[in-house]
Amino acid sequence: MSALTTRNLTKKFGKKTVVNGIDLTVDKSMIFGFLGKNGAGKSTFINMITGLMEPTDGSFEILGHMGKGIRDIQHRIGVLPDYSSFYDDLTALDHLKYFSKVMKLSTPKKEMIDTLERVGLEDAIQVKAKNFSFGMKKKLGIAQAIINKPDILFLDEPTSGVDANSILSIHTLINEIAATGTTIFLTSHNLDEVEKLCDEVAIMNNGTIQTKGNMEQLRAHYKRDITLYIKHSSILEGSREKMGKDLSVWVNDVNLGDTLSEILIEEEKFIPEINKIFVINNINVYRLEVDEPSLEEIFLNLNEQKDSA
Amino acid sequence: MFTIPFREFTSLFKSIRSIIIIAVLFGVTIGAAKIISNFQTQLQELGIGDDAYAGALMALLLFAAPLFVTSLAHSVVNKEMASRTVRFLATKTSRANIILGKFLGNLFFWAICLFLALLLIIPFSNTFHIVEWFQMVVFVSYFIGLAVFLSTIFRSPSLTMFLGITISIALQVLGLWSLATENVFVKMIGYITPYFYYSQDQTYMSYIVVLFTLIFVILSLLIFRKRDL
Repeated sequence: MSALTTRNLTKKFGKKTVVNGIDLTVDKSMIFGFLGKNGAGKSTFINMITGLMEPTDGSFEILGHMGKGIRDIQHRIGVLPDYSSFYDDLTALDHLKYFSKVMKLSTPKKEMIDTLERVGLEDAIQVKAKNFSFGMKKKLGIAQAIINKPDILFLDEPTSGVDANSILSIHTLINEIAATGTTIFLTSHNLDEVEKLCDEVAIMNNGTIQTKGNMEQLRAHYKRDITLYIKHSSILEGSREKMGKDLSVWVNDVNLGDTLSEILIEEEKFIPEINKIFVINNINVYRLEVDEPSLEEIFLNLNEQKDSA
Repeated sequence: MFTIPFREFTSLFKSIRSIIIIAVLFGVTIGAAKIISNFQTQLQELGIGDDAYAGALMALLLFAAPLFVTSLAHSVVNKEMASRTVRFLATKTSRANIILGKFLGNLFFWAICLFLALLLIIPFSNTFHIVEWFQMVVFVSYFIGLAVFLSTIFRSPSLTMFLGITISIALQVLGLWSLATENVFVKMIGYITPYFYYSQDQTYMSYIVVLFTLIFVILSLLIFRKRDL
């Protein structure tokens, strides 16, 4: 069963179409990443499915409830909206108390403190939000989103503006939450983050989804030659030519150095054959590195394709 | 259900502006009561008697409530839109709860302030004017409803501050003018201000103002339901 389904979801601001007929299905208990440049329509999409914006057209379903009935399942949804602020006069703990009461939850104080500690706000529990840095506000935003132990959690840029150490702890937290079976839908500019965390990724551009799948599928779809960097023992001049010939059957390009060679291949399955050729020629292979296309390359490649079109 | 009204209510007591307004309200109430007590015999002869104490407070409200209420409530909804805190609320509760919570929080604030003001004049009047208290609450509810309505339509708090004060003054001027003119246009406008209903001899006429308050709140609910946050 899917946690989220959208059908032809569209949002227009005047004549400008920001989200253009998106059909998307997100399975339960997965971390789903939503990537795109600024203005691609990611936040508008999240705002519609979390009830902050009214779709111009289309429909959506969350946890089996149609969009118009989202009010009935608000207590099962956690949302970290983009660019949000807090009440200056309330402390971090006051915020969680207030939001819990608004949701009619009877969350014990200890649980709220635990939540603040989990997001790394243990030193700011009684500090008023007006004294919070941007990163601290982000953490409090995550805390308020998970206080109700949601079945589906929407995180819009959860680590933007957060320091490196905190990013690591937020990543750990996201993985912990996902391990409990919560579906997580996150948008990010940080491609490494999405690649590291997400089970499935959709790339959005100009209001439409350009591609969707897990990392393997995306790599396969947007494949380019795999580069092998091989560190090896010295190649004797006599055997260099023979090796080049042997390799040419499997590789697209080869640059045999004295102790370091660079080889371009089409598919991963050729690697054992290449290794074999080195061994047959009495060359010891010390290290073999495979350079595959990263999500960043796929993302840039897609944008380049779009721009050139 | 009462979480948002309670937060609104308590945060109103924390602002300097509201403290000044409470001080003015209480100060004028006691001051007027002291002055009136000096003319008690004359007032008894005129048949006004103890009503004069509550009447003084009502007079203050008729002239100052539009400004008092607007200055406190002009940004009751849009300040949360401007700061985007409303995004947290809107993902946790219904939009109707937010609007009703904002309205009720402000209404409770004024109901309590007016209740305390009437308590302050008990030593002079020897009675608590419950009917007058209710009438005063109904009167301020009109302007609270108007402020909620304006701050739901317009996103900018400074714009609603300007519009709120301008419209409040205009309603007050036109409302009072309509009582003393034969100009049909002004009289028609007078019917949509609370002043017409509060100038009638029958007390129940003042309760008609509740209908306007309801219209403002319902319109706010309808607009806010469709608003992108």
